[in-house]
Amino acid sequence: MTDRNIIELKNITVSFDGDTVLDDLNLSIRDGEFVTFLGASGCGKTTTLRVIAGFITPDNGDVFFDGKRINDLPPHKRNVNTIFQRYALFPHLNIYDNVAFGLKVAKVPKDEIERRVDEMLELVNMKAMKYRKVQTLSGGQQQRVAIARALVNNPRVLLLDEPLAALDYKLRKDMQNELRRIQQTTGITFIFVTHDQEEALSMSDTVVVMNEGKIQQIGSPTDIYNEPKNAFVADFIGESNIIDGVMLEDYKVKLDGREFVCLDKGFRKNEPVDVVIRPEDVDIVPAEKGELTGEVTSNTFKGDYYEMIVDVCGFKWMVQATDETKVGAKIGLIIEPDAIHVMKKSKYSGKFGDYSTFSDEMDQMEEEEEEAELESEATENE
Amino acid sequence: MNKRKGTFGTAALNTPFVVWSAIFIIVPLIFVIYYSFFDQDSGVFTLDHVKYFFGNPSVLKSFGQSVWLSVASTLISLLIAYPFAYFLSKKRPASQRVQMVLVMAPMWMNMVVRTYSWATILEKNGLLNNILESMGLGKINIIGTSGAVILGMVYNYLPYMILPIYTSMSKIGTPLLEAAEDLGCNSFQKLTRVIMPLSLSGVVSGIIMVFVPSISTFYISQAMSDRKILLIGDIIESQITGMWSTGGLNRGAAMSFVLMVIILICTFIMNKYADSDEGGMMI
Ligand SMILES: Nc1ncnc2c1ncn2[C@@H]1O[C@H](COP(=O)(O)OP(=O)(O)OP(=O)(O)O)[C@@H](O)[C@H]1O
Ligand SMILES: [Mg+2]
Repeated sequence: MTDRNIIELKNITVSFDGDTVLDDLNLSIRDGEFVTFLGASGCGKTTTLRVIAGFITPDNGDVFFDGKRINDLPPHKRNVNTIFQRYALFPHLNIYDNVAFGLKVAKVPKDEIERRVDEMLELVNMKAMKYRKVQTLSGGQQQRVAIARALVNNPRVLLLDEPLAALDYKLRKDMQNELRRIQQTTGITFIFVTHDQEEALSMSDTVVVMNEGKIQQIGSPTDIYNEPKNAFVADFIGESNIIDGVMLEDYKVKLDGREFVCLDKGFRKNEPVDVVIRPEDVDIVPAEKGELTGEVTSNTFKGDYYEMIVDVCGFKWMVQATDETKVGAKIGLIIEPDAIHVMKKSKYSGKFGDYSTFSDEMDQMEEEEEEAELESEATENE
Repeated sequence: MNKRKGTFGTAALNTPFVVWSAIFIIVPLIFVIYYSFFDQDSGVFTLDHVKYFFGNPSVLKSFGQSVWLSVASTLISLLIAYPFAYFLSKKRPASQRVQMVLVMAPMWMNMVVRTYSWATILEKNGLLNNILESMGLGKINIIGTSGAVILGMVYNYLPYMILPIYTSMSKIGTPLLEAAEDLGCNSFQKLTRVIMPLSLSGVVSGIIMVFVPSISTFYISQAMSDRKILLIGDIIESQITGMWSTGGLNRGAAMSFVLMVIILICTFIMNKYADSDEGGMMI
């Protein structure tokens, strides 16, 4: 990755029929960077890609490519290729010709086209059926053809709109590694869209968290995870307990009536704040030794850990532990200073991070009911 | 899985269609074949009627006229319809709808009326010549020329060319066109590499839908040529209506039959050609 910006979005605003879809978006993407847009459905990820590709002219703001303003440059003149969310493969062409399309338009010599297309089909594991019609392919196969069709052109910037969404778990993992490897060896700038946070964190140099047409946070995966900027990001990335707190002074925060030492500073005295504590950062101790005490209200086995909901003074925490604790048990919680992340209050405060309506609890209740029903049925049948 | 389940419902829905086809397609066809191949008096099989088509110079000349005029009008229709459909499909949806209604509007009027209106405009003392004369230019004779007949065919059948082409173009959809742009196509390359191949089936349908009625028409040539140009349809018509009692019915039937076979073969070849490039389509 270089320090030069290849794409810059400045004050981009896009609206459709009066609905603002992108709201004063500012973003710089460096040459060779792997950037991921992460956000819920409808937050404007595809729209942002379409602005970069040139299919949408923003109502306001400027798009720069390599330092040049390209607002008025039509899509076919931009050195950008897209893997479309809905594939958009050409139904009149077979797999090979779909992939060769861009190279043929660019009048690349025939033998070079053949070599590059074959290489690409090999890469996405589609070489064996290269003369098949694309309509006969499964969703995952079409997606792989779409990847090959864009990548084969070797663009400066590749836009990937949820390119792995239709693949099964194993293939998705393989393709994630493959795409990451391609990105690193070719140095092509990847702008990747996903709503899978694990995918975003594991693949990218930089993650851009979006919500409602606004960028919530830009940062490295570790920054985003460890230092979420507001309650939305904290909740969207991983599991988070988000508790109302008061910043008493630098390095000292009060929550649930107790003072805790933390690593954050720079807040006003007694400023109300949101405090994020990740479920895996909470230590469990016997009740009398805890800084906080609570009652376990549910406990779910997750394979390599237990996920508990703990009621602390009416606020439900999610806590992860390696040992099982019985539902109903009183336990103590200890929170180390580096487990505490203090955030400024935002419009998302109070909307996220409380597990009192957590679905697992519901699931469990339903399951218990079902089990009871099954049992009574079984006794009736006997 | 449950393919059989629908059979009864399908059959019930199909029944009117089957009955309709039987009465209005199969039965007339049997009559045509009967009159073409059997002697009316003795009821014996004969090829005399069919031979009349191939052995009679005036029939062959009319047939040749029909072929060239209908090929010409089909090509002209295509040349007008394709660009029209292309530019129309790029317009906003609302204006596309309005323009399609305008394209189809003439079809709501009876063809006879439409053709006669053209004839009255173009005839020796018609509107056009009056205007030309008042401007100091001489009269021109249009009625009776091949051009007039082609004009009549194109005017009457153009919507049948526009409609399938427009439909196949609007089915292509923006995502594919954007993908083409994304891969470096300018407007012209988009047209040649995506729109043309994907609208080929519409072109084939349009060609069939214009060519078939053009080659068999008798009415347009009568109105637009003042009976100076006799098409194969005119011959068939005059055989059947004028020489009913002297074997005209048999000769007319035989000519219809030959014409039908030729059209079927052409249609079949056209469809084959379209199929090789794209999936199913209408005949
Ligand atoms: N052409 C359009 N006309 C009207 N509204 C649009 C158009 N394109 C997008 N929108 C709206 O803009 C918003 C953002 O859409 P966008 O496709 O960018 O979402 P997204 O983040 O890609 O979502 P997803 O994860 O579901 O793909 C949505 O509310 C969508 O309905
Ligand atoms: Mg999208």
